[in-house]
Amino acid sequence: MQTKNIRNFSIIAHIDHGKSTLADRLIEYTGTLSEREMEAQVLDSMDLERERGITIKAQTVRLNYTAKNGEVYELNLIDTPGHVDFTYEVSRSLAACEGALLVVDATQGVEAQTLANVYMALEHDLAIIPVINKIDLPSAEPEMVKKEIEDVIGLDTSNAVLASAKTGIGIEEILEAIVHDIPAPSGERDKPLRALIFDSYFDSYKGVIAHIRLMDGRIRKGMQLRMMATGKLFEVTDVGCFRPAPVDVDELVAGDVGFVAGSLKNVRDVRVGDTVTTVVNPAAEALPGYRGVTPMVYCGLYPVDSADYDSLKDALEKLQLNDAALVFEPETSIALGFGYRCGFLGLLHMDVIQERLEREYHLKLITTAPSVIYHVHKTDGEMMAIDNPSKLPTPQEIDFMEEPYVKATVIVPNDYVGAVMEVSQNKRGEFKTMDYLDTNRVMLIYHIPLSEIIYDYFDQLKSMTRGYASLDYELADYKEAKLVKLDILLNGEAVDALSTIVHVDNAAYRGRQLAAKLKELIPQQMFEIPIQAAIGNKIVARENVRAFRKDVLAKCYGGDITRKRKLLEKQKEGKKRMKSVGSVEVPQEAFMAILKVH
Amino acid sequence: MEAYTEALCREIAMQGSLFAAAGQAVTVYIGGGTPTALPLSLLERILRTVQRCFPLAADAEFSVEANPGTVDAAYLAGLLAAGANRLSLGVQSFNDRLLQRIGRIHTAEQARQAVFMAQAAGFKNVSLDLMYGLPGQTLADLAASVAEAAELQPQHISIYGLQVEEKTVFFRQQQQGRLQLPDEAVAETMYDYMTEELPRRGFIRYEISNFARSGFASRHNLGYWQDVPYLGMGTAAHSYWAGRRQENTVDIAAYIRQVMEGKLPAHEEEPAARSLHMEEFCFLALRTVQGIDRQKFVDKFDCTLESVYAPVLADMRGKGLLAVDDVGVRLTTRGMKYGNVVFAAFLL
Repeated sequence: MQTKNIRNFSIIAHIDHGKSTLADRLIEYTGTLSEREMEAQVLDSMDLERERGITIKAQTVRLNYTAKNGEVYELNLIDTPGHVDFTYEVSRSLAACEGALLVVDATQGVEAQTLANVYMALEHDLAIIPVINKIDLPSAEPEMVKKEIEDVIGLDTSNAVLASAKTGIGIEEILEAIVHDIPAPSGERDKPLRALIFDSYFDSYKGVIAHIRLMDGRIRKGMQLRMMATGKLFEVTDVGCFRPAPVDVDELVAGDVGFVAGSLKNVRDVRVGDTVTTVVNPAAEALPGYRGVTPMVYCGLYPVDSADYDSLKDALEKLQLNDAALVFEPETSIALGFGYRCGFLGLLHMDVIQERLEREYHLKLITTAPSVIYHVHKTDGEMMAIDNPSKLPTPQEIDFMEEPYVKATVIVPNDYVGAVMEVSQNKRGEFKTMDYLDTNRVMLIYHIPLSEIIYDYFDQLKSMTRGYASLDYELADYKEAKLVKLDILLNGEAVDALSTIVHVDNAAYRGRQLAAKLKELIPQQMFEIPIQAAIGNKIVARENVRAFRKDVLAKCYGGDITRKRKLLEKQKEGKKRMKSVGSVEVPQEAFMAILKVH
Repeated sequence: MEAYTEALCREIAMQGSLFAAAGQAVTVYIGGGTPTALPLSLLERILRTVQRCFPLAADAEFSVEANPGTVDAAYLAGLLAAGANRLSLGVQSFNDRLLQRIGRIHTAEQARQAVFMAQAAGFKNVSLDLMYGLPGQTLADLAASVAEAAELQPQHISIYGLQVEEKTVFFRQQQQGRLQLPDEAVAETMYDYMTEELPRRGFIRYEISNFARSGFASRHNLGYWQDVPYLGMGTAAHSYWAGRRQENTVDIAAYIRQVMEGKLPAHEEEPAARSLHMEEFCFLALRTVQGIDRQKFVDKFDCTLESVYAPVLADMRGKGLLAVDDVGVRLTTRGMKYGNVVFAAFLL
């Protein structure tokens, strides 16, 4: 395939605007998979992804398209995740492309995430083709959406395609637009090899498989290659493209997108953003890399049954193989024993990892409250980055503390502006700007502490705006704040796993909320259980779980025995899901419910 | 009722031959339901059939459950003549207001008279049931009933706390907030009162809910808690025979049909696994004041209690729920209140 006939593109969109369906349609139309082989959302391979309707891993597929002009083109589609947590994945995929389809729902218009992704595409100098999707719906307003795109983003929409991925309208126009409006990759196959790694995954037979975009040069099986940043040398064992399943090819050339494997055992040898070159006649300079991946949210993960500790370790290691963004290290809690401190890109990421641990590895887990990274400036001049409330130094040692703020972009219909302002102000948000996107919708920008965002900001927003609000956020800066450590005591003993860092204004309220929730969730036991929330020595909330007075079956004669035994079995099962925290039995659900705060 | 009695007598006859191979019956219990809902002639017939078909020990305990509103002197005399030697009366309370509240058809006076008549007729072994935790009941009400019950000089008293079960009138009333049960603290006081007062009056506690004068514990019921095999006959009757628990069909019409066709109406249950047998052996024995006898455990299971339950014993003992010594293990006073916690711990 001549380089001039290759096109590399991504599809970017807000969640549920139809990105995955469109990808399916393109695959189907170009005959890449037969109808029988098509399974809905074929690019979303994980069950979890399909269930939740989201994409977590980016995947690529090579489409062969015979255009109207009779020529055959190689179109490389790189699917991208659509959630704010996975911004870095979007960025990497975009760097491998020359163009992007911008998919906007004709009934919804431009949304917060649409903007974020478009700006990112523009930063990468991509040619953007607007696709107005879902025009089959009665409430579709393509002309209005086109105007919105022009006004809000400043994009020319004269080459916009009106389509319906679901019904198949406009698919051919999209493919033609890709051929004509997206430039062919530059780069020469005879120059020294430079290939950008934009993703990787671990295959138990072949080792780490790198997703690559060749900028210059060519790759064939058997070649000796070098990772420029890590210095790792390897021989190519497999090279190919995705259809969307991996298919071996003889050669990848400049402009191509595909994969390469080389018996690489350690996923850390394959660094996303790194450049692959040849050992003989290597490239002089590496390609520009990306910004690194920083976790924003941390939590402690503990097995309910301490015997599962090794299994948890094993599971985390396996998950990390395909998720370089997940970080973890061992941690101990007086209350919960041995576990791991894990860092995630955001709450969705945390949620997904937790669910995968439970589902794929059958682990029953307790999570501690999610925490952001605080900057603690000590009186001795040292600055500590703390993500675990138990590690907070004593108040005497602390000079001042800073917490991370994000720039939150919210788009809502007119009617709900007041509600958004109220919710954001309650979350210590600072109003920045408000703009009208059109007659009906408003875009608000607030600076809000990240800790407030993760403590149910999105849920409140959704419920106060009847689901119409869309949210996007990115790390802005650190600001000083009056923060304190809120402790929970059960039966007089502080439970370190339940401690949180809160703003002094919220502390008493949060303490009361937690105490009340715990009272509901901790079952009655043979003795009374006082629950207290405290800041330092000061108790800010108090609740009591009454003791149960009796628990015995009065009558147990012949006919009652089998039934009684079954009841006891149930009672015993219930006990298995309890974790002993000091002298108090706390059900696993109690930890999950209080601390799963979104 | 005729048809049922006929069928029941048939089943008794069929079972009698099965049983004979095992030896003599040491106890018989006619319960239900309400046996005395039957006219005397039918109930008599059932008793006599039992006597005829089952080899009974000379001093066998033969109990019949009776509802105070349904028996008179003649009825009681008839029962005695037919072989009964123990009567269990479902009194519940000697307070008419409470009896009405819980939907009983008898009055306190009828209950009193029933006891007198039973004793006059010649029953030397009479048992009364009392309840606490009834809607609208106060501690004073309870104390009065206990006093009266004791003064009537029965040989045995059973006490039960009201338990509201799903799909009952009480359950619905409770959902609607129309059932004012005494609160937890009061219910506990009532329970404490009874467990202290009855022994003071000479009724020794031998099981969680059962108290008796020396020598008058219900041998039949003790059998349930001491792993003694028994055969049950009648609709929905339970059996524990040859190591397995069985239940007869619960539908009366189906029962009658099956028996008249000459079939035994039991639903087969799987034979008990050893661990199940051990669990039941333990939690049932723990209901009695003597608790689990170490030697009996060894005889049954060919291993010591410790070999299976050492951590459980230590844990329960540590929590003050179990007393452990060379003879055996048993619930402490506190343990009796939290029996379920201990029983569940003995599940394997």
